[in-house]
Amino acid sequence: MQAHAIPEFPLPLSPDQAEAMAQRQIKKHHVAIVLLHWFNAIVWMLELSTGSALIVAPAYRFMPWWYLSMMAGIFGSRANMLRFHIAVGLLWIIVFLVYAIFGFRNYLHQEVLRREIALDHDDFDWLRIRLLRLLGRSQAALPKQGVYNAGQKMFALLVYSAVPFIMITGLIMTFHLGTALVAWSMVLHFLLVGMVVSGLMIHVYMGAVFPEERQAFYSMITGMVNELYAYRHHFKWWREIRINEEAWRQEWMGEYSQDKTLPSHTGDRAPLVPENAEADARNSGEGVPS
Amino acid sequence: MARYAMVIDQERCVGCQSCAVACKSEWDVPNGFARTRVRQAGVTGSFPRLTSAFYVSQCNHCDRPTCVPACPTGATYQDANGIVRVDRELCIGCGSCVAACPYGARYVSPTLGKVDKCDFCASRVEKGLDPACVATCPAHAKIFGNLEDTSSDVFRMVYREGAKRLESSEVAIGPNVYYRGKPEHADMLLASFPLQMPRTIAAGKVWAKVANKLVYFAIGATFLGQAVAFFRQLAAGEKQFED
Repeated sequence: MQAHAIPEFPLPLSPDQAEAMAQRQIKKHHVAIVLLHWFNAIVWMLELSTGSALIVAPAYRFMPWWYLSMMAGIFGSRANMLRFHIAVGLLWIIVFLVYAIFGFRNYLHQEVLRREIALDHDDFDWLRIRLLRLLGRSQAALPKQGVYNAGQKMFALLVYSAVPFIMITGLIMTFHLGTALVAWSMVLHFLLVGMVVSGLMIHVYMGAVFPEERQAFYSMITGMVNELYAYRHHFKWWREIRINEEAWRQEWMGEYSQDKTLPSHTGDRAPLVPENAEADARNSGEGVPS
Repeated sequence: MARYAMVIDQERCVGCQSCAVACKSEWDVPNGFARTRVRQAGVTGSFPRLTSAFYVSQCNHCDRPTCVPACPTGATYQDANGIVRVDRELCIGCGSCVAACPYGARYVSPTLGKVDKCDFCASRVEKGLDPACVATCPAHAKIFGNLEDTSSDVFRMVYREGAKRLESSEVAIGPNVYYRGKPEHADMLLASFPLQMPRTIAAGKVWAKVANKLVYFAIGATFLGQAVAFFRQLAAGEKQFED
């Protein structure tokens, strides 16, 4: 791609361009987010498998008896299973609290509020067309998307609105904070978890099975996606990155053009290096833009 | 296996409250609550033919307890010997069982945040002792024993001397605390302390009628939608080159 011409809309790519872009990796997730994602995934698996086995009353129970006794057997008793459920839940709350407090500026404010939740017009179109395409009723192109597509944003919206209440109701039940409060917490805890699970099913399917999003799955391991995937699936994000990259280039170019004596090839960089040895050592690490 | 029961002998009970005190001290029952209580059912008739009864109330360890299925976590359960118990490790203190009990035998302990009630002093019974209230009753008005043991006092009183269960036409769940005395004693107790219909707490109704259905629908609809998408994906096959 030409550095100066950042397209407003996704243009058709030549095979060479596509191949070059497929080779280039772009950072999508911070290491902190990757770790948190898999921590969260493990917690959800543990909490769902134990929590579903804790609901015993015939009026509310949905897992079969053999599952309840199997889980009680694995943990020794249902009381132990409840202890485990509570311990993992408390750990989960503590970790997310630390994340929320220390990561507020870098992650929550910058990433979550601005990029993961806010839906725009393209997002609503995307949701409609995505659904029709999934059901095989449309072949229309999907609208441009930011770093997260509208489906991911919807899931994030569901999760971010439900999780605080799942945590609070869990704490109310753990610490027995009043009879009526505990009673309503049970219902809310179950209802919200159920809603998140229905979204989680799509999340897991899209991430692990759905072919078009395979890159997104790898990005949750390596943190990186290739540029072609970003270009085709998250064009607005790709453009943002290109604009930032261009600004970065311009910054370097500015310094470059101020120093008229800089030769065009790196072999002749002697005039740039200052006379004294201290500055020499300081500058020796980074090369000059070429 | 035993089938434990208790008999309150109306001809011996004088309403001295010793059993209530013994129980409270045995189990550290907080102020304002009780595992067993003694209340008097009015004095009826005209002098000198007066009748009164003492309602010694506690958990009845019913044959068909309404509290056991009401408990969401299974903390309330029934032992094979008939004793209905609360597993404090599992109880979260939601109060579902309190509303389900027709005898008002349960309370949510403010100190524990969990449900507490009479368990026939199961830990004493396991050691071969009588429950604290029975051991302390100065008039031997509380008799504890095994209904399957034909030589026991409770067997004699229940099956030969006609000790009665406190049941009504609406609420008949087989309570195992029997009241021995004249027939009018039991009627008087039922008239003065009517049984409460087993209730489901509001949150429980919302759970069973709304929350469950919403969750089943959401998960079911998602599953079906995904199944369609998945089979379309399978039918399309995989490509060698993907971005």
